[in-house]
Amino acid sequence: MTRWLGSAYDWIDERAAIRNLLRKGLYEAVPVRGSWFYTLGSATLILIILQLVTGIFLTLLYVPSVKEAWESLNYVKQHDTFGSIVRGIHLWSAYILLFVIGLHMVRTFFSGSYKRPRELNWVTGVILFVLVLGMAITGAFLPWDQAAYWTAVVVTNIPSYTPLIGSFVRALWRGGDAVGPITLVRTFGIHIWLLPVILFPLIGVHLALLRKHGEFGSYVNYRGAYRTRQGVDVPPAPPQRRIEPPYPAAPSEELWAAPLEAEDFYPHQTFKDGVVSAALVLLVFALAVAIGAPLEAAADPSTTSYTPVPEWFYLPLDQLLVLVPRELIPLVLVLPAGGVLLLLALPFIDRGPERNPFERPAVMIPGVFAVLFMLILTLLGSGRLFNL
Amino acid sequence: MALPERRRLSRRQFAVLGTQVAGAIVTLALGIPIIGFLISPLFRKQAFTERRVGDISSVGTDPVKFEVTFPQNAWDVPEVKAAVYVVRIGNTVKVLSNVCTHMQCPVRWENALQKFLCPCHGGLYKRDGSYDGGPPPKPLPEYVHRLDGNILYVTNEFTESI
Ligand code: HEM
Ligand code: FES
Repeated sequence: MTRWLGSAYDWIDERAAIRNLLRKGLYEAVPVRGSWFYTLGSATLILIILQLVTGIFLTLLYVPSVKEAWESLNYVKQHDTFGSIVRGIHLWSAYILLFVIGLHMVRTFFSGSYKRPRELNWVTGVILFVLVLGMAITGAFLPWDQAAYWTAVVVTNIPSYTPLIGSFVRALWRGGDAVGPITLVRTFGIHIWLLPVILFPLIGVHLALLRKHGEFGSYVNYRGAYRTRQGVDVPPAPPQRRIEPPYPAAPSEELWAAPLEAEDFYPHQTFKDGVVSAALVLLVFALAVAIGAPLEAAADPSTTSYTPVPEWFYLPLDQLLVLVPRELIPLVLVLPAGGVLLLLALPFIDRGPERNPFERPAVMIPGVFAVLFMLILTLLGSGRLFNL
Repeated sequence: MALPERRRLSRRQFAVLGTQVAGAIVTLALGIPIIGFLISPLFRKQAFTERRVGDISSVGTDPVKFEVTFPQNAWDVPEVKAAVYVVRIGNTVKVLSNVCTHMQCPVRWENALQKFLCPCHGGLYKRDGSYDGGPPPKPLPEYVHRLDGNILYVTNEFTESI
């Protein structure tokens, strides 16, 4: 039996070169120190795959129509226990994904991983982040219950404050002046096709770039190796163990130095990746079973008693809507857009070779303030909505 | 020797040009219909519908909520409900929408406050719909309407677009 399998493997390998592919995929060198933090990227990947799988199954039941969207999900809620769990996984994994992608971003920011030659790892990352936010917000429209409907109204109205083309953009998304049947199908199409067909190939690019340059990790893996140019510090002797490409054999060039200690991706890093991802998936599963995904009353555009409460990940923006003076409403578009542009520009602004976060106050301090600003907006927002 | 060399080059240039033209044709043939399809709802003339709201003889100086249904912005079924606030100011009747001019949340009349309150970001409007506080940039929208004695008819169109 095993002999038969072995020769089948040989047969395929001879034609598709999978052995080489596996070897390249699994035996990449990964820096050892701080490697628990390097699990955040793969955790993001696992959660987004969870989204893909549960999302595909949700399309087997969900009806993207203002008449039946709510009805179809209400049917799941009333009569389909496993369907409810799948819905719950899709929701909670989305929430945790947003959290983990944020942590991944913060960690690569702290470690200065975005520096040459990994600028494009960061740039593709920022685009992925925006796309994931887009997935979250378009997904929130789909149940077409009260929460979904009013999210749709407010969110599609925000672009109407774009100077000159505002109402055009709003009408393009809504498929008319008001939120209606076309809004839901368009948003459904964006959520299940348009964004994913950009998102998933871009993850491929992100990972291909990662493999091209190798995991940077953190400055702690390179102590001393970065001072060679000034001749202050002699680079440490090349480590004893075999270092795989793409790191050079000896850390001679400061920007392309190899880590002091590296381990094979498989099984050492995959073990840590697996532990973190499995813990997160278990958490998602537990939340899906224990809390599940809510479904409020069906959308009612004529309500005068319902108080819309925004999704938590969108609270900072909602609080901006409260804080920005009425003469300056376009600021709620300018601030996030400016933030994204700054993020995209980061690797081209902060270009020095220094990776130690404590030696880079010029970026760390604004970065910390930006995170604090988001946190404060979230706190203010939840205080306002839940009378904390 | 110069001549055949230039000929070889122009053959190559021809191929480059041909590839680009073919690419442009495919892009246009795909792009034009898709973009037209995307933006077509913007140019469709919206058909406005007038609906009977009811007898408003009992409405006084406090806004009263009525409900009407209108066709949706695309295919008609199901029709969509809309809230209409009617209030008497002096001897005129104001017919207000409850759509907040900030982000279009559902505004409500708060009797205790004697104001319209928007639950989303705390926008406030006076009883005649004029701005009173918070983020809204404009007063509450007014419906195009018609009074036949005490019977109110409302069209799903605002006097000023929001
Ligand atoms: C769908 C979203 C994403 C996926 C699936 C993903 C996946 C990964 C994986 C598996 C790694 C290697 C392990 C690690 O360092 O954690 C990685 C590295 C990296 N990611 Fe992401 N990522 C995503 C989004 C982002 C975002 C939002 C950013 C930042 C804006 C980002 C920036 C980076 C950078 C700079 C590296 C290189 C880290 C290094 O070499 O030290 N990624 N990503
Ligand atoms: S939507 Fe009414 S105040 Fe913002």
